[in-house]
Amino acid sequence: MDEIVRFLLEHPPFSQLPLLQIQRIASAVQIEYFGQGVQILTQGGKPAAFLYLIRRGSVDLLRERNGVVELTDTLSEGECFGYVSLIQGKPPISTVRAHEATLCYLIPAALFHQLRRDYPPFAQFFARSITDRLEQALQQRQATAAPELFQTRLRDLITEPLVTVAPDTTVREAARRMREVQASALIVDLPPYGMLDAGSGIVTDRDLRNRVVAEGRDYTTPIAQVMSAPAITVPADSLVFEGLLKMIEHGVHHLPLSDGGQIIGVVSYRDFLRLQSHNPLLMPQRLARAHSDADLRAYTEQVTATVGGLLDAGARVSDIGRAVAAAHDALLVHIIRDAEAALGPPPCPYAWLVLGSEGRYEQTLRTDQDNALIYADNAPEGAEAYFEALAERVVEQLVRCGFPRCPGNVMATNPQWRQPRSVWQNYFRQWISVPSEEALLQTAIFFDHRPVYGTLDTEASLRPIILRARENRIFLGRLARAALRQTAPINFFRQLVLERRGDQRGLIDLKYRGTAMIVDLARLFALEAGVPDTNTITRLRKSAGHSSLNETSAEELIAAFELIGLLRLRWQYQQLCQGLEPGNQVEVDKLTPLERRELKEALRAVAVAQRAVAVTFQTSLIA
Amino acid sequence: MFLFRRRPANLPDAVIGYLEAPRPDPALPWRDVPYSVMDVETTGLNPRRDALLAIGLVEIDEGRIRMDRRWYTLVRPPDDAPVNAEAIRVHGLLPQDVEHAPPLSEVVPAVLRRLTGRVLVVHVADIDIGFLRQAMRRLYGVEPRGPAIDTARLAWYFQRNQRLIEGSASEQEPALQLRALAESVGLPVYPEHNALNDALTTAQLFLAQVSLVAAHDTPRLRDLLRAGGCLR
Repeated sequence: MDEIVRFLLEHPPFSQLPLLQIQRIASAVQIEYFGQGVQILTQGGKPAAFLYLIRRGSVDLLRERNGVVELTDTLSEGECFGYVSLIQGKPPISTVRAHEATLCYLIPAALFHQLRRDYPPFAQFFARSITDRLEQALQQRQATAAPELFQTRLRDLITEPLVTVAPDTTVREAARRMREVQASALIVDLPPYGMLDAGSGIVTDRDLRNRVVAEGRDYTTPIAQVMSAPAITVPADSLVFEGLLKMIEHGVHHLPLSDGGQIIGVVSYRDFLRLQSHNPLLMPQRLARAHSDADLRAYTEQVTATVGGLLDAGARVSDIGRAVAAAHDALLVHIIRDAEAALGPPPCPYAWLVLGSEGRYEQTLRTDQDNALIYADNAPEGAEAYFEALAERVVEQLVRCGFPRCPGNVMATNPQWRQPRSVWQNYFRQWISVPSEEALLQTAIFFDHRPVYGTLDTEASLRPIILRARENRIFLGRLARAALRQTAPINFFRQLVLERRGDQRGLIDLKYRGTAMIVDLARLFALEAGVPDTNTITRLRKSAGHSSLNETSAEELIAAFELIGLLRLRWQYQQLCQGLEPGNQVEVDKLTPLERRELKEALRAVAVAQRAVAVTFQTSLIA
Repeated sequence: MFLFRRRPANLPDAVIGYLEAPRPDPALPWRDVPYSVMDVETTGLNPRRDALLAIGLVEIDEGRIRMDRRWYTLVRPPDDAPVNAEAIRVHGLLPQDVEHAPPLSEVVPAVLRRLTGRVLVVHVADIDIGFLRQAMRRLYGVEPRGPAIDTARLAWYFQRNQRLIEGSASEQEPALQLRALAESVGLPVYPEHNALNDALTTAQLFLAQVSLVAAHDTPRLRDLLRAGGCLR
């Protein structure tokens, strides 16, 4: 009783009523509980018999118009519904559905009408709400513009038909073909066309001008002599932003797009310009022009600012991660090249590896460095000293650009993580054949490595060893156990399990009890399936059906990963904007009902996947 | 067929009415069944030794808790079971609070009138039904009758199901305290150790649990009794 009175006292318009009336309401209410998805009122159905006040939970207002159901609003604790129907005495104009488990106080119609009659402000509150609601619904329909650069895939930019000619085609013939189909570039290839190899290449308008006309070559010259080979290609599903970086990195204006080993089309710089986004089109150009430390710092700050813009525009976290990875990779390459320029050419092939979130293309805001260096065996004298100096320079420069050193010292400056190929092979061999759960927690990020710069083929060097993990059930079992150290913070009642103690109260850690759990599962499935990719979403997609993960769970986990990642990133960006150090602990109370509901669904998917892993790998049986 | 049962003579009408009311059909959808949710305050946990101090009741009709039909009464303890210091600490009830309250002989018929033809819902049957049983035996030589539902038993049923799914990995010890359970399903918690508040919290917990018994279907009374029934 007192509790109900207290609640009414806190929520308008009840709070403006005399205490006596509030007590009267409290002793007349009925209380009803609606499970998630339960339909409380039906558009066009039975008129409401109560005024509903949400005590806990939230409800969706849905309106059907011309066969299309539209979500017009979501109401949460302290808000009322049913009054339009009550006031007009007509069927509800919206369907009201419990968005999550919801507890409502129901105020009988007679009492509601009496209060409206006796207390004009009370009546006005509900009259005004009706118009407010309509305005709100209208505003929601004004959609925000999409950030083309970060949401469009390169394959969607293809406008020119793919023109392919044999290498012995004459320059004149090739130019004619280009004119016929109005293409600005063509692929030079042997039949069957579209299978690029070392002998194939690309010829553009510019090549014909610079290499044929300006050089005074004969028009019967075979096209193979003036083409660029090998052509710089990118996967057709890359983001426009990635394509743009690739172009600037290599100084080209055309990019052939590959899909499953085949070239499916060519996009040009002009296609990018056509997107006409005010977004950070200039960013890569800035990097190309960057020379001083200040330029580089400005560049990284620009990347961070871009993340905010992308978030506002509704980009997916995975896309933001890829865009940021592309930007950071470009920066890293820039920095390593500078170091090489200062130290002289490397004494032997090597590769600069990025690890962890960066290795998975999942870095969003700037985080600590995680990197390593691998160089060829039987390196000449002095190679160790050269790479030490290189690592020092690169790491130091990254720090200056705003990437703090790794507190765990997992960096190429640490001799342990700057080793020849054979030593790295032994590392992985040992991690896989003598797995300890503790060690696995620390070495997991090495399974998420990818080379960003250098000529040493890390895949050929390390993949055969990593693939052995597939057959090693003990390794996979230990890895499964490590992956289940954190359980999804959701209980059987589909309620979030929050921290209960001290200053952590009411918080949920969206990294350790969110995205990291999915990252760990994805790594496990990828190793089980022998999938070489590092990106969590790619791992899930590719290992589905080839590991203990099935397609449905994979889709659910991918959606969960995107959602939790988005919540986390939004939260961190907000903190950043307020001048705070971005953290992973989110106050659940500050999430909107919609966010809370989505978070719950995401965590439930994780919980289901974790249970399945526990059963498959019998994690409780491994000593 | 009519079942004869030996029954003491001269029972008050309320008691007879209670004993003779038809039991709700277990095949009914749960919403069509009326419930009375009860909580008691006592001087201790032993129904044989300790005394009832207060009873709170809320009714659930058509799936809605009726605050307009809530009921609360203090009970004057018998002279041989005075209010001790421990009970004062728990309930904040003082001897003078219950001194002028009606005695059990007046309270029990009033309670039974509110339970007649309804399914009793309590949290931890041993206590609430235990004290009711003791009072009915002592006063009339009759037993409380079902069906009744124990929300602690329902909670245990869900937790056991969860453990079966999760194996031993479940991070939380089964907690069956009313407050912890209500919080775990996201319900507001009313100040504890007042029989009416606790009855209300129990009623809300019960409604939340019902929605879990059969998530996609309307559960029938039978389903609820199977998961949390506690009195024949």
